Formats: sequence, C-alpha cells, structure tokens
Amino acid sequence: MERREVSFRIYRYNPQVDRHPFYDNFKVAAERGITVLRVLNHIKENLEPRLTFRAYCQAGICGSCAVRVNGVSKLACTTQVWDELAESGDEPILLEPLNNLEVIRDLLVDIDPLLEKLKSNSSWLTSSIPEQQMGHKEHIVSETEFEVIDSASDCILCASCYSECSMMGVNRRYISPPVLLKAFRMNNDTRETLAGERLKQVTADHGLWDCTHCYRCVEHCCKKIPIMDGIHRLREEAFERRMSGSEGARHAQVFFDDIRDNGRLKEMTLPLRTKGVAGSLAMIPLALKMAIKMRTPPLFTKKIPGIKRVRELYLRLEKLNAERQSS
Amino acid sequence: MKYAYFLSCINESMTKEVDRSLERWDKDLDIELVKLTRGTCCGGSNLDYVSPDHFLVVNGRNIAMAEQMKLDLVTSCNTCLLTLRRAKHILDNSPGKRELVNSFLLDEGLCYTGCSDVKHLLWVITEDYGLDRLAKMVTTPLSGISFAPFYGCHILRPSSLLGKDNPSAPMSLDRLIETLGGTPVEYPSKNKCCGFHTLLVAERESLTLTGNAIEDAIRSEADYIVTPCPLCHTAMDAYQLKAMKGRGAARRIPVLHLSQLIGLALGHSQHELGIDRHMIT
Repeated sequence: MERREVSFRIYRYNPQVDRHPFYDNFKVAAERGITVLRVLNHIKENLEPRLTFRAYCQAGICGSCAVRVNGVSKLACTTQVWDELAESGDEPILLEPLNNLEVIRDLLVDIDPLLEKLKSNSSWLTSSIPEQQMGHKEHIVSETEFEVIDSASDCILCASCYSECSMMGVNRRYISPPVLLKAFRMNNDTRETLAGERLKQVTADHGLWDCTHCYRCVEHCCKKIPIMDGIHRLREEAFERRMSGSEGARHAQVFFDDIRDNGRLKEMTLPLRTKGVAGSLAMIPLALKMAIKMRTPPLFTKKIPGIKRVRELYLRLEKLNAERQSS
Repeated sequence: MKYAYFLSCINESMTKEVDRSLERWDKDLDIELVKLTRGTCCGGSNLDYVSPDHFLVVNGRNIAMAEQMKLDLVTSCNTCLLTLRRAKHILDNSPGKRELVNSFLLDEGLCYTGCSDVKHLLWVITEDYGLDRLAKMVTTPLSGISFAPFYGCHILRPSSLLGKDNPSAPMSLDRLIETLGGTPVEYPSKNKCCGFHTLLVAERESLTLTGNAIEDAIRSEADYIVTPCPLCHTAMDAYQLKAMKGRGAARRIPVLHLSQLIGLALGHSQHELGIDRHMIT
C-alpha cells in the first residue's frame, strides 16, 4: 500500500478563549485510499484531542462532516486525501469550516440558521391525506412522478451549497440553495397540497428571485443535484401561478416581451420596467455618467431584420399553450 | 477560420467596443465572424421562467441559423454562451423537444439538427486558433503589465454544460495573458460572481459582490482586470465607483474585455479598441 507523510493546515478557533482564529499544522502518515475524515479522527485520537469537528456516518449519507478542503466545500468522509494532494501539490492540505455559518469551534459550524430557514419555508410535505387517515390510506406516487423529484430527494443538507453560495456570502438573510431545493422537491411531489402557500413564502424578500445564477451550488453539491434546475422550475411555477409582480419576475417578463417586440433587449428602459419609476430614480446619476462616455443604450431599439417571423412564432406558441391549457 | 457570431444585446447597446474590437480579427487573425443579424436575444437566463417553450424555440432558431450557414456559433458573452448551450443540451437530448422546435422553424426554412457547436470567443482563441499560433502574431507584447483574470460564472459553471476550465482553478485566460506577454496574478476572486444578474433586483448585495472582486484584484496589485464577459465588464467598470464607495480602496482599476486585451497585443491603440469609452480608464 502506497504511503506518505502528508501535511495538513487546520483552522482553529474557540470563540470563548481565542481572540482570533489561527491555523495548526499536522503531519500524518497517510496511505492511498484514506479520507480527510479518517485523518481528522486520527489527529483527534493521537495528536490533538481538542480538535473539534462534526461527523457521524462516515459514508456520505448523513451530511454532517462538510468542511472546506483547499477552499472548496465538501464532505470530509468522501474526500480522498490523495485526490487533494494532486490539487495542493507541495502545499499542506488546508481544512477550514464551511463559509456563511458561525463557527462554534474549529471546523464545527452552527447550522441552526439553515434549519430555521427550512422551518420558516415549510420544507416538509403537506399531504392530501387527512391526518386521521394516515397509516390507513396510501397515496401512490408513480415512478414517472417521482423521477421529477428523484435527484432533489437525495439532498442530505450537508450545507456545502450554503457555504459556496455567492448571495449567502453577502446576505445571511438570503433564503439559500438547500431551502429553495426543498421547496422545489415538495412543490413537485404529487401528494403536496400547499404548493402555492410555500411559493409565496419562498418568493418573499431575500428569496427566490435574489439568486444570482452563479451555479456554485450545483458545482459543489456532494450529491451532484442540479439545484439550479429546481430554482428555475420554482421561477416557472411563479409565472404559472401568476405570482409575477416582484422585481425579479418583472425583469424576466421584460426579456419575453422585448424578444417579441424587437428581437433584442431594450436596455434603455430595462431598469424602469424592472424597478418601476421610484426604484429607477437612483440610477439617474450613473446614467448621466454613462452618457458622457456614450455608453447609454439607444432610446429606440432597432428591430432585428425579420422580426415578423419572431412575432409569428410567439403567436403560434401562445396558441399552443392555450390549447394545452384547455385540454 | 469562420464562425457565425451571435450578437449579444449588451454589445449592441452599452459595450459596443467589444464588437468593434472583434471586427479586426478577420484581418489580424484570419478569423471571420459572420454576424447573426436575424438572430434574437437569447433570453439571458430569464426567458425560460416566463415560458420554457419560447426559450427553446427562440434559441433553437438561433442555433439553426448557424447550422444553415454550416458554421459553429460563437458568442462573446458568458450568459449568452450558457443560455444557448442549455438550449442545445435540451434539444440534443430530447427528440420530442427537437421535433416541437422544428415544427416551429419549418416555415422559415430552418431545421435544428445539433450539428453546430456553441462556443465562447475565449475557447475559439485558446483551442481552435491555438496559443502558439497567437504568440506568433503578437506585435506589442504586454510586458511588465499585470492582469487579474476574471472569468465570470457562465463560462465555468455548470461544468456539465461548459466543461473547458476547472471551475475551482480556471487557467485558460491566465494562459492567454501569458501568451500576449502579460503577467496574470493569482487572486481569490478569479472564479467568483460579479453580481451582474441581480443588479436590478438586489442591488446592495450585487454591488457587494462586485466590490469584493474589484477589491481583491486591487489588493493583488494587478494593473488591469480582464474578463471574457461584457456583463462582468459592465458590473466591474460601469458600477465600479458605486461598488467601491465606502471601501477606502487606494485606487481604481480599469477593466478590459478579452477582445481588447488581444487587440492591444496586436498593436492597436486604446482608441481603436474603444478602451477610452470605458468608465474607468
């Protein structure tokens, strides 16, 4: 078995004692196939018993051991030390707590804010079966119906996406990717009865429309869940339920309308149509500065050649949608 | 080399200098970019929320026009890239959706088959053209100038749809900078979000993202930021003063487009490349 000495640089912080976080270095003889969690356990058992982290199943199921390894949020129990060596080269492997959550101690973070958001956005199923009939009556979900939410059901709430999310990094009140994913999962479960209510909750301030679509959540999901697809589907659902009055929804509507009317985006009035008159006033100073540099968009957007064809497509699509709805 | 060139709305309005500097590639590099003038806006990661079918038909049509010209489709905007590639991925993997889209395109004599690839300009120059070949074309090496490469999200993530660079440690733009004689700096924000897409919805948060990236680049002592995306450019250039307000940064940092970076190394002046149109110069 291939074996070598590997250096680890681990974030240490006990807010009750330490004025500032610091890093400890450890050298561990590691063999190929060993995981980061095995190393953490080894250090705790043999080198530094005070080192604090959270872990349980050791098999990528419980989601409790997520940390940042070389700057990227992942499960310690499924991350191979040798894979990280390939990334870090001669540098020590860096282990740090997840971002966007308060550190309780060392690598252990407080996940209560995530749990509170799950609670306040009804992240559970509200079945059509009355409670008194629970256990007596089945509500069968077909394989095809489950396929829609199959991947989203794999979420183990490890909070890696919470840690990687761009918007979470600048607004701790933001709803966060795992809560949006749960909302998608529940709203598309055929047993669910309160989808509309939940959608109202998740589209409130700091909610669904604040996602920057940076796709960091998707890239770093330990279960490879296409989280953005769930967020997209929730936004589609907002339009289907005619919950399209928010700035985010109005912004999306502008793209739809402008392609029909001009073929291109009419950038000049985009802020006005998204934010309204009052919301756009604050943009006037920037618009003036841009005008000096001749960067302001044209007042009248030139229609693309053949715009009639595009309008015909829209008419036919609207007819198709009307036929679908009536059937 | 010849490509169908997708016209991004922002380059048609606010960042006109991008297409202006690209028009020189035909003569300079023998890369002909045929403008897709009848193409529409891609919907910028927004159209599909209003109607997923419109999103597929509109972008199926855009790609089918490139197919009709027997050319790959190239874009200079990260979000157009991702939006078009998302549509392509769905159409290539769903015969039902492809049939639906084609039933709409038939009247215009178009048919989506999936034979044209959708690429970013950065990929064209680093992969199709090749950096070795580009190095030979450099007349004014960017020696002694350091650049903070800012990739932007939609050329990196999701890697399942893009997959050229490692999203955690992208290098293609760094290598391009080196090829042109410049020095790329390492800094933590190179693969982060510029905040553009929520500027009109969550301005304070978006500007914090923009400011974080700019501050990082300034701290790395880069002379310029360089980005392959006109949306990232707008966030970091037009909104720079607003984003940096109250941060006490020592200086401003100009932001270049990928096409301008290449133009400079090929000997064109700042005026020719429209760099003097930028807000931060």
